[in-house]
Amino acid sequence: MGEAKERVSEEVRDYTGAKLGMWLFLLSEILLFGGIFILYSAYRYKNPVEFHHASQELDVVLGTLNTLILLTSSLTMAISISAIQKGQAKLSGWLLAATIILGLLFLMNKGIEWGAKIHYGIYPGSPALLSRAKGEILFFGLYYVMTGLHGLHVLVGVCVLVVMLILLRRGKIGPTRFVSLENSGLYWHLVDIVWIFLFPLFYLIT
Amino acid sequence: MELEETSHHTRNRTYLLAWLGLVILTGTTVSLAGMGLGRLAILSVLLIAGTKSALVLTYFMHLRSERMLIFKVIIPLVLAVFLVFIILTFSDVAFRGGVK
Repeated sequence: MGEAKERVSEEVRDYTGAKLGMWLFLLSEILLFGGIFILYSAYRYKNPVEFHHASQELDVVLGTLNTLILLTSSLTMAISISAIQKGQAKLSGWLLAATIILGLLFLMNKGIEWGAKIHYGIYPGSPALLSRAKGEILFFGLYYVMTGLHGLHVLVGVCVLVVMLILLRRGKIGPTRFVSLENSGLYWHLVDIVWIFLFPLFYLIT
Repeated sequence: MELEETSHHTRNRTYLLAWLGLVILTGTTVSLAGMGLGRLAILSVLLIAGTKSALVLTYFMHLRSERMLIFKVIIPLVLAVFLVFIILTFSDVAFRGGVK
């Protein structure tokens, strides 16, 4: 009997605590990206003309497309969680898979964009970049660091979502047990928010 | 029982509307930036980005339906900390040139 009781207590889960922990992590992420955003603002303030010239070289169409991709992936993520809460495991799985595919699509576009820049010899420390004005070197340095760090977050997010999909298929995530999926969703949405700020700062303000 | 109290059941229609709002705001910000408004462009583009984040936080991240106070103050709190960082950095950057 004592053993049975123990097994029951193992099943106790702290739903609010788990979510609060995730939020605390997300706050540290906001400050991580926030710090680099301040760095960007300070350098932009010091080199307005060079930042203006350099930002015109980025592809607004590709940036807008990637924004729409991430926004849509947030939608499929949110509905996937809502579906599992209603017990629609199959629908939830498909929406999760769609989120993963959209995340990969985002990374693919980012790869194309970086590839084109690198093809033109614009990458950190490249001779073509170093021959330019100081402000433009700073702009592209920040561009690679910030979109790179963000891309890394998308990649991590995709991996986490793949694990969630496996757990979902195995029935480890279900209508009464979905906090891990919900927390992954929170992370995914935060990565979306970071892009919401990166996109105008690099592509739009010229 | 705790699940009943804290989990949320946002309707899919709400998610779709939030997404539609985000897409429309994206279109607005792209066309605004193309108008060449100068300094006003930075302000408008950042305001729109702030609005979009608020939409994501409120609807997709369920801050609207969180009942515990801690979830309500978490974002204002981190924004306040961030604001202090911005003020400290710019009070340095803006006046450093004066000392030679």
